[in-house]
Amino acid sequence: MKKAKRIPSSTPSPAVQVIDVTLDYILGKTVVNALRGIRLEIDQGEFISIMGPSGSGKSTLMHLIGCLDTPTSGSLLLEGEDVSKLNESELAHIRNRKIGFVFQQFNLLTKMTILENVMTPLMYAGIPLKERRARAAELLDRVGLSDRLRHRPAELSGGQRQRVAIARALVQRPSIILADEPTGALDTDTGRTILGLFEQINAEGKTVIVVTHDPEVGSFCRRSIHLRDGLLEE
Amino acid sequence: MMIENIRLAFKDFGSNKLRTLLSMLGIVIGVASVITITSLGKSATVSIKEEVTQAGLNIIAVFPGRDSDKEVRRLFSPELADRMESEIKEIRDVVALNSGKFLIRHGKNSYEGTEVYAVDEKFPEVFSYQVDHGSFITQEDREKRRSAIVLGAEIAEELFPDGDALGKYVRIYREGVARSFKVTGVMKARSESMRLDFDTSVYVPYDTYAQRIQKLDNVDRYFISAEDGVDVLEVSGLLEKFFLKLTGNSDSYRVISPATIAEMYTGITETLSLFLTGVAAISLIVGGIGIMNIMLVSVSERTKEIGIRKALGASPKVIRGQFLTQAVILTLVGGCIGMALGSGLSYLGTSLLNWVFSPTLSAYALAVAFSCGVGIFFGIYPAEKASKLRPVEALSFE
Repeated sequence: MKKAKRIPSSTPSPAVQVIDVTLDYILGKTVVNALRGIRLEIDQGEFISIMGPSGSGKSTLMHLIGCLDTPTSGSLLLEGEDVSKLNESELAHIRNRKIGFVFQQFNLLTKMTILENVMTPLMYAGIPLKERRARAAELLDRVGLSDRLRHRPAELSGGQRQRVAIARALVQRPSIILADEPTGALDTDTGRTILGLFEQINAEGKTVIVVTHDPEVGSFCRRSIHLRDGLLEE
Repeated sequence: MMIENIRLAFKDFGSNKLRTLLSMLGIVIGVASVITITSLGKSATVSIKEEVTQAGLNIIAVFPGRDSDKEVRRLFSPELADRMESEIKEIRDVVALNSGKFLIRHGKNSYEGTEVYAVDEKFPEVFSYQVDHGSFITQEDREKRRSAIVLGAEIAEELFPDGDALGKYVRIYREGVARSFKVTGVMKARSESMRLDFDTSVYVPYDTYAQRIQKLDNVDRYFISAEDGVDVLEVSGLLEKFFLKLTGNSDSYRVISPATIAEMYTGITETLSLFLTGVAAISLIVGGIGIMNIMLVSVSERTKEIGIRKALGASPKVIRGQFLTQAVILTLVGGCIGMALGSGLSYLGTSLLNWVFSPTLSAYALAVAFSCGVGIFFGIYPAEKASKLRPVEALSFE
């Protein structure tokens, strides 16, 4: 694996640095300018929401920060490491080590038990089975699902599924948690519990980035940035 | 990771049982037919060889070549039999033979088209041909050119329905002229071999035949028996050399033995089974296309899953491995089922045909290797396709 370029700095690097990023993609025959020059810094340990109406580019920004996509121009630095020019397998490595995803639709692997779901990122990190099992069980215990290890996602409620997803996001001990509308498919009470869980995670020092269009969720975070038509309006 | 991939593959098969089974069917049928054909081919070969050995026919026939000229044909003399015997020590007996078809008659009873053989006294021993009454042509009969005749079982029955042929006279008609011979022996019934129909033939001394029935320029064929424990094919080889030296032309003679005939049949069987195996191998290719098809379906169905796995840190290599493993396991399991089925079929086939069941290990090894190969060959494209899916697009797939 190529050594990522490190920006020399005396103070700890910000968790995320988005530097003049644009991202275009082709939809049918038209080019969509999803991001049109974004400059953004998120410090380590922040609890931040990225808000905006649908089509504003907030999901694209999240994909970018999550190394699921690469910018058309500009660069992206995660903890000082430039990841905008990495190839697909290097990006996979970064996703595995540095980022925990939580999605609106949970995105659990339906054919596997929740224990196996949580173990999956550890498998890709090449961790031995025994340790994988122990660590996954520990995380599931933490989110209050230790009695459901052998259940499949379909046997759980929405809130429980999202807790499995959070356990899975945390299991590789990443520094950044990226949540895309994490309460979007949940009722208000369950949503609050999940947000409480994020608050806890943030209190442990992890950077939590929540993408949402819901002002209530936004107000829960300590900082909010707003996107409209691919541009920041702070 | 390999173990995980194998577990994942089986998990996926478990949730799509019918589909998995159907997509395997091509491979199952392909491998089963390859195994069945090769096993049956081998069994046929073994059985032919066994039949030849059981019959105890360690006999070799030598004929003059069809188009050899008179001069060369003259080399095929009765005396040559003694030379062969003394020069090739692996030979036990040589009998020189000639024949013609004639009407034979005793009183009112006659037999048209009787094969009259000009032979010597070694004939019964070479063919394990047994005397019923009297005796076969003796050395004395031959040397004194006696008009002695020995009857095959059926001829004796036809000409002497009341039995007791010994000492009676029979007449052999050639171009309307009758020659009288005294019956000195009657043979037991014996089944046909080396194209000799023993029971409908009669036997007279070689020189008597040449003198009284028909002038003989050369010996029509020699029958040679090998010493016990000597490979008939080896003796055939020695005879080939002997006659090549004698005639200087490999077209001037033909050396044939049941062993060489068996060898020929074996060759045919092997060629045929090779050909059929080729045809069956085509069904393996077709099966492979089926696998490829189902893998492509699987990849597109599982796009979302691939997206999730990629988000969790699966590299393209890992995804490729997952799908390739699945394809290989699909063909491998299909191959194993095919092998079991093929073994069953060939066992059934051989027992119905009363052949020896002789499964060939190499065919099994080949089948395993081939199924793996098919899995890799036809699995690589779908796996590659899965590994190249863009994470963002795969994740947003519904």
